[in-house]
Amino acid sequence: MKILSSYSIKGGVGKTALAVNLAFALREAGRRTLLLDLDPQGAATFYFRVASAEKFRMRDADSLAEGLRRNIRESDFPGLDIIPSNLGYRHFDILLDGMAKRRKQLRKVLEEFKPDYDVILMDCPPNITLLSENVFRASDAILVPVIPTVLSRRTLDQLAGFFRDEDLPDGMLRPFFSMVQKRNRMHREIMDDLPVSYPGFLKTVIPFSADVEKMGLHRMPLLAYSHASTAAMAYRALCGEILSLAGP
Amino acid sequence: MGGRVQNKESVRLTLPGGFGPECLQEEWDVDIHPQESQTLAFWDTFEWGLWFGGHILYSSGGAYHLCAREGGWLGAALCEERAGTRRRFWRDFETGAMRARLERMLGLRGLAPVAEGTFRLRRCDVRNSVGKIVCRLEWSSVSAGKRRDEDLLHSCRVLPLFGYEAETARVVEHLVRRGARTSGDGPVETLLRHVGRVPRKYTLRPVFGLEMDTPAREALGRIVCAILEIAERNVPGIVNDLDTEFLHDYRICLRKARSVLSLVKDVYPAEDTRRMRKILGDLARQTNRLRDLDVYLLARDEYMGLLPPVLRPALEGMFRDFSTEREREVRRTVSKMRAASTRRLLREVAEYFSPETHHEPSPAAGLPVGALVFRRIYKRYLKIRGIAAGIGAETPDEAVHRLRIECKRLRYLMEFFAELFPKEEGAEMLRLLRRLQNRLGEFNDALVQQRSLMNYWEQKRSGSKIALGVGGLVAVLYRRQQQARGLIDEALEGFCGGSTAAAFKHTFKQPVSN
Ligand SMILES: Nc1ncnc2c1ncn2[C@@H]1O[C@H](COP(=O)(O)OP(=O)(O)OP(=O)(O)O)[C@@H](O)[C@H]1O
Ligand SMILES: [Mg+2]
Repeated sequence: MKILSSYSIKGGVGKTALAVNLAFALREAGRRTLLLDLDPQGAATFYFRVASAEKFRMRDADSLAEGLRRNIRESDFPGLDIIPSNLGYRHFDILLDGMAKRRKQLRKVLEEFKPDYDVILMDCPPNITLLSENVFRASDAILVPVIPTVLSRRTLDQLAGFFRDEDLPDGMLRPFFSMVQKRNRMHREIMDDLPVSYPGFLKTVIPFSADVEKMGLHRMPLLAYSHASTAAMAYRALCGEILSLAGP
Repeated sequence: MGGRVQNKESVRLTLPGGFGPECLQEEWDVDIHPQESQTLAFWDTFEWGLWFGGHILYSSGGAYHLCAREGGWLGAALCEERAGTRRRFWRDFETGAMRARLERMLGLRGLAPVAEGTFRLRRCDVRNSVGKIVCRLEWSSVSAGKRRDEDLLHSCRVLPLFGYEAETARVVEHLVRRGARTSGDGPVETLLRHVGRVPRKYTLRPVFGLEMDTPAREALGRIVCAILEIAERNVPGIVNDLDTEFLHDYRICLRKARSVLSLVKDVYPAEDTRRMRKILGDLARQTNRLRDLDVYLLARDEYMGLLPPVLRPALEGMFRDFSTEREREVRRTVSKMRAASTRRLLREVAEYFSPETHHEPSPAAGLPVGALVFRRIYKRYLKIRGIAAGIGAETPDEAVHRLRIECKRLRYLMEFFAELFPKEEGAEMLRLLRRLQNRLGEFNDALVQQRSLMNYWEQKRSGSKIALGVGGLVAVLYRRQQQARGLIDEALEGFCGGSTAAAFKHTFKQPVSN
C-alpha cells in the first residue's frame, strides 16, 4: 500500500483538484483507493457529494482508527472510497500533542487500512502544523501543486527548509506545475528555471482549464464528467507518472 | 481492528408483478439503466453436487460461470472459463480455480443440463437529496427457456454502498411496503421448480420408516421397493452414459435387494424368493463387463503412477483396448437395458414387492421384523468371528474372500435396519466394520486386478513391451496385496475384539425364545 498526500503551504493552488482527480485516475488504473479529506473545509468531500463525517472521539490511535473506519463512505465510483472531512480534525494537533511518538501516529493508524486499499491519498489543508508533520511522516510521497509565479519559489524553498530542519527525506517532495497558462511568459520562464533546483519535480503539467473549475457545479471529479478533456488527460498522465515512480 | 469491511450484505427481494423501480422516485432520484437480457443454461450432477455444495454453475455466451449459491439466488461470481465445447467432468475444465472447486463437488459425477432460463435485468442507481448514490438495484425477471415467455418471478437485489446502509434500509422498507418480500424462493429455485427439477438429496441409504414390530413382510417389501426405485432412477444416466456412477449405484441397488431377500428367510414363499433373486442376479450380470472396464479405466492414473515413467507408455495400448471395448460394451449394455425383456423383469420385481400385491403365507411373514433381524445380525457377527478365528498368515486367500462376503452381508443387514438400533452404538460398530471391509477390499482389489491383468495378457499375447508393463504392474499389485493382508489382522482385532463383541451382544442378542 502506498500513502500519498496532496499538500502545499499555500492555499488555492490546486491541492484538492489534484486529490479528487488523482483518486479517480488511480481507481481507473485498477488501484483500490481511499481518499482521506483532512481539510476541515471539506472541498473534496463536497465534490463527492458525501456528508461530513460524524463526530468521533480521537483519544488515542485506536479510537482514531476506529472513528476513521466507521466514516468510510463508498463513492459513486467502484474502487474509490472516501473518508469525509470532519471539523474535529481541528483538534488533531492537541490530540497528537499528548501522544508519545506523536509525529508518527498517523502512519500507524493508516497501516490498519493496508489490507483493503492499494493507495491512500490525503487532501491536506494549507499550513504547517503537527498534523501536517504527521502527514509528512506517514507519506511515501508528498505531491505539491506549484502555480508558476514568482512567489512559488519562496514557498517551495520554505517547505524544503522545513524538511531539512525536521530531518525528513527531501526526496519525498514531489512538486508539479498546476494551473499553467502556456501563453504566460512568466509561467514559461519559471517552469524552465525552478525544476533545476528540485530534482524530484514531476514532468507532467496540469494546465489551467475552465473545465476544472466546473467541478463545483457537477459535484464530481473532472474525469467523471469530462473524460477526455485536456485537463483530464493531464491528470491521468500525472497519475501514470506517479505510479511509475512508486512501482506497481 | 482492520480497515473497511469488504463484504457488503445485499438484500434480496421477491416482488409482485407489475411494479418497477419507478416507484422509488417519490423519494429518491433513480437512474434506470437500459435493460440487459441473458439466457443462462444451468448445470449440475444427478446428485445436485453443486447445488448442495453451495454453488451454481451456468453457461452463457460461450463461457461457464461458477457462482456461490445464496438460497435460490445466484450469489457472488467465483470463476469463469470460456469453452468452445461442452464440459462434463471436472477434468474437462482447464482453469485451475475451476478445476479445484469442481473436483471437490463433482468427484466422478458428470454435469448435465438442468434448466435454461432467460433473465432480464435493469440496473438502477438510487440517489439521495444531494445526488449521492446510496444503493444500486438489480431489478430482474426470469422466464423459462430462451425466448421471452411468461415471467416466473420478479425480483430485486439491493446493494448498499458502503457507509450507506441506513439509507439503503429505508429503500428496502419502501419496497416492502409496496409488497416486496424478503423471503421466498429466489429466481433460480423458481425456475427449477417450474421445469420440475427441484433439487433433492440423493442417497443409497434411504430411511424406510421401520419399527421393531413392523411385520417382516411389510418391512422387507418397503426396503426392496425403495431400493428398486433408486435403481430405476439411475437407468437414464446409464443409458445416456453420463458418468460411471449411475451403473455403479444401479448394481449396488440390485445387489442389495437381492441380498436382503436371502438375509431374512421365510418372509416370502421360498419359490418366489428364488425367482426374484434370480431375476435380480441376471439383471446385475448383464452389466458386469461394463463395470469391470469402468473400474480399469478409472484406475488409469493410479496404475500409471505405480510404474516408473519408462514403462508407462507400454500400458497406453492396454488402456486404449479397454476404451475401445468399453464403447462396444456400453452400446451392448444400453440396448439390453432398453430391451422390453429387461424392462419387464424389473417391473415384475417391483410389482411383486409393491404393497398392493398379495402373496401366499410363509412362516416368517407376520413376525415382528426387529427380533428377526437382530437375531440374523447377531448370528452373522458370530459367524464372522468364527471365520476370523481361523485366519492366520498361511490361510488361503479363499478364506479371506469368504470373510469379505460375510462382512458385506452383515453390512447390508445393519444398514437396512439401522433405524431399529441406537444410533451411537450402531455408528461405532459400523465404523469398525467399514474399516475391516476397507482392508479386505484393498486385499481383494489387488488380487482381482492381478488376475484380470494376467487375463488381458493371455488373450492378447502382444509385444514384449506390453508384457513388461503388465508384469511390472502385477508385481506392484502383488506387493500391495501382501501389505493389505498384513493390515487385515489388526482390523479384525478391532471388529472381533472383546468390546465390539460385547456391543453386538448387548445390542442384538435376543432372549432365547422357543
Ligand atoms: N487546473 C486548474 N485550472 C483552473 N482552475 C483550477 C485548476 N485547479 C484548480 N482550480 C480551481 O482553483 C480553485 C482552487 O483549487 P483547489 O481547491 O483545488 O485548491 P486548494 O489548494 O485545494 O485550495 P485550499 O487551499 O483552499 O484547499 C478552485 O476553484 C478550483 O476549481
Ligand atoms: Mg483544498
